Amino acid sequence: MRSLLLAVLAAYIVAAIHAILAFVNKRKALHRISLWSLAAGFALHTAALLADWIIDGHYPLFYRRETLSFLAWTLAATYGLVLFRYGTQALGAFILPPISVLVFIAAIIQSDSNTAVSASGFSTTWLFPVHTTLVIFAYAAFFVVFLASSMYLFQERALKLKTFGAAFHRLPSLTTVNEIATSAAAIGLTMLTVGIATGMMWSASRDGHIWRNDPKEIFAALTWLLYLLLIIYRSTAGWRGRRAAWLGVAGFALVLCTFFGARLMGGYHVFG
Amino acid sequence: MSIVLVGVNHKTAPVEMRELLAFSEEACTEGLRLLVDGEVVREGLIVSTCNRVEVVAATTTEKMQEGTERISDFLSVSRNLPRDFFYDHVYNRTEEDAVRHLFRVTSSLDSMVVGEPQVLGQVRRAYSLALEAGTAGRVLNRLVHHAFHVAKRVRTETGIAANAVSISYMAVELGKKIFNTLKGHSVLLIGGGEMAELSARHLINAGAEGVLIANRTVETAERLAAEFNGTAISLNDLPDYLAEADIVICSTGAEDYVVTEALARKALEERRNRPAFFIDISVPRNVDPAIGELPNMFVFDIDDLEAVVTSNIREREKEAERAELIVESEIMQFQQALRALDFGPTIGALRQKLQDIARLELARQKNRLGQLTPEQERAVEALLLSTVNKISHPVLSQMRRSYEASDIETIQAWRDIFGLEE
Repeated sequence: MRSLLLAVLAAYIVAAIHAILAFVNKRKALHRISLWSLAAGFALHTAALLADWIIDGHYPLFYRRETLSFLAWTLAATYGLVLFRYGTQALGAFILPPISVLVFIAAIIQSDSNTAVSASGFSTTWLFPVHTTLVIFAYAAFFVVFLASSMYLFQERALKLKTFGAAFHRLPSLTTVNEIATSAAAIGLTMLTVGIATGMMWSASRDGHIWRNDPKEIFAALTWLLYLLLIIYRSTAGWRGRRAAWLGVAGFALVLCTFFGARLMGGYHVFG
Repeated sequence: MSIVLVGVNHKTAPVEMRELLAFSEEACTEGLRLLVDGEVVREGLIVSTCNRVEVVAATTTEKMQEGTERISDFLSVSRNLPRDFFYDHVYNRTEEDAVRHLFRVTSSLDSMVVGEPQVLGQVRRAYSLALEAGTAGRVLNRLVHHAFHVAKRVRTETGIAANAVSISYMAVELGKKIFNTLKGHSVLLIGGGEMAELSARHLINAGAEGVLIANRTVETAERLAAEFNGTAISLNDLPDYLAEADIVICSTGAEDYVVTEALARKALEERRNRPAFFIDISVPRNVDPAIGELPNMFVFDIDDLEAVVTSNIREREKEAERAELIVESEIMQFQQALRALDFGPTIGALRQKLQDIARLELARQKNRLGQLTPEQERAVEALLLSTVNKISHPVLSQMRRSYEASDIETIQAWRDIFGLEE
């Protein structure tokens, strides 16, 4: 399904470029082009994932190539949701380029089905795909928290220093980015919670172990704890604004460690 | 047809002269009927605001010079001023330059504050007065609508009107930046004064709800409360009410801080850290700048606001350069459209030309036809002319249709086919 993925990549790149141009030039027409090509890319991407599933016979979220592609798909879906709910066009300029990069990497990685671990053993039970899907969606939500928090910090600083640059005028308001960060964190945390729970259940049903002190598990637990703290602090209102935003940025560093770092440290979760 | 424009603006004439040249709405319609004689000046429009008086007219290309003269005379007669009085302050623009000038005026590129939105409405009003007076015809309709189109493009494609350029409007801009919308957000006005009241009014117009007014004098507080449909509170009760306000505008004559850091801290706690911002337009300052260090509290004093306004004006001027490019490209398009408007008479001339050819051929062949009775002669002529007319009729009516639809490209094609270049 390489050629289909290349078409997806092309559509995402067009969307990303137009989103950036729309951000710089404040042109609605450019934003519309970005939206249409994103929609086209997303439809193709969905088709590509389905085709993978049918042809390869396992849920398309196992090998590295699949994971990256699936993550990009998740991010695109998340961006669509945020756009639908908040209408914040500015987000596109920051979320579409990484989406394109993910798809690009997924497209150039050679098919890695010859890895030591085979996917066949994992798709026998529905718990495993649910576990991975939820965790990936949680990552995407946390990326949105990261972006919104960064926007918050950038603008808060500009307001305090009274220096309003070009970017300042183009970003959504403090209240909006704060709301986006809050709801994305809540959704992400919910998904991560259920994702971790299903992972544990799957593991238990497989060989009785719920927890195996794997680096990825430890990082995931830390991430979960941090976002739980963030949610609690936000809801008790003590940490509104800058401090919560810093937590949102720091939390994403932990997410990156969970996603990429654990691979480097080896362990049980070597795939994905 | 050509456009001519005669006018004065804030750059060329002092206010004393502009007010003498200005037209009231009645004077406008009346004056237009006087100006447009159907001979030299075919159509007319007067834009009269506090910053400018512009008389725009459509004339034939040959009578452009006469048209300008006529407008100057008209200004002199209708305003009852000797021409020498305003001669040095008036600018005359013709053709492209006149079009450019009107486009720039309508797009607010010629305004005192570049990008201010009022001028578009003023041109719109001037146009409806001309319609009322019956002095806006095909050419000016086209011109004015094109000017509106240019203004819209400039507005949407450049950031010319994006950022606030007045201190009183900064409150709205900052409020939107922080709260996204002003709906449901409350304002506390401490003190009074023109600028503070204007800021409050802008905020209310932008959707702010619930105004508290604290003033040393009870009468002022009550007057403002009535005006803004708000509540007057005593200055002494400020500690109790500060937490209720999302936006605080402070402008009193006090020598010391009216809103102290301790007060703001208490308010922040009561507000459960919800953001608030303070606009301090008093000198000496009434809001402790240390409040700006607190989380979720933003303080802007008069210097901060002025600095932002200055940078916003510079930003607008940069955007204005992009707007000028839009204006230039639109001038070319309009001039093309104007040429298309001249096509009407050409169609009539073409019909005449074809008939003349028929008559000429008849005259040339007359001797060979031998002696014809007058009846026969008329029949031959009728035969020729009706053949010419029947063949040319669908073509001519098709031409007229493209003329009426102002279909510039097709008109150009017709010109090429029949060699109708002027």
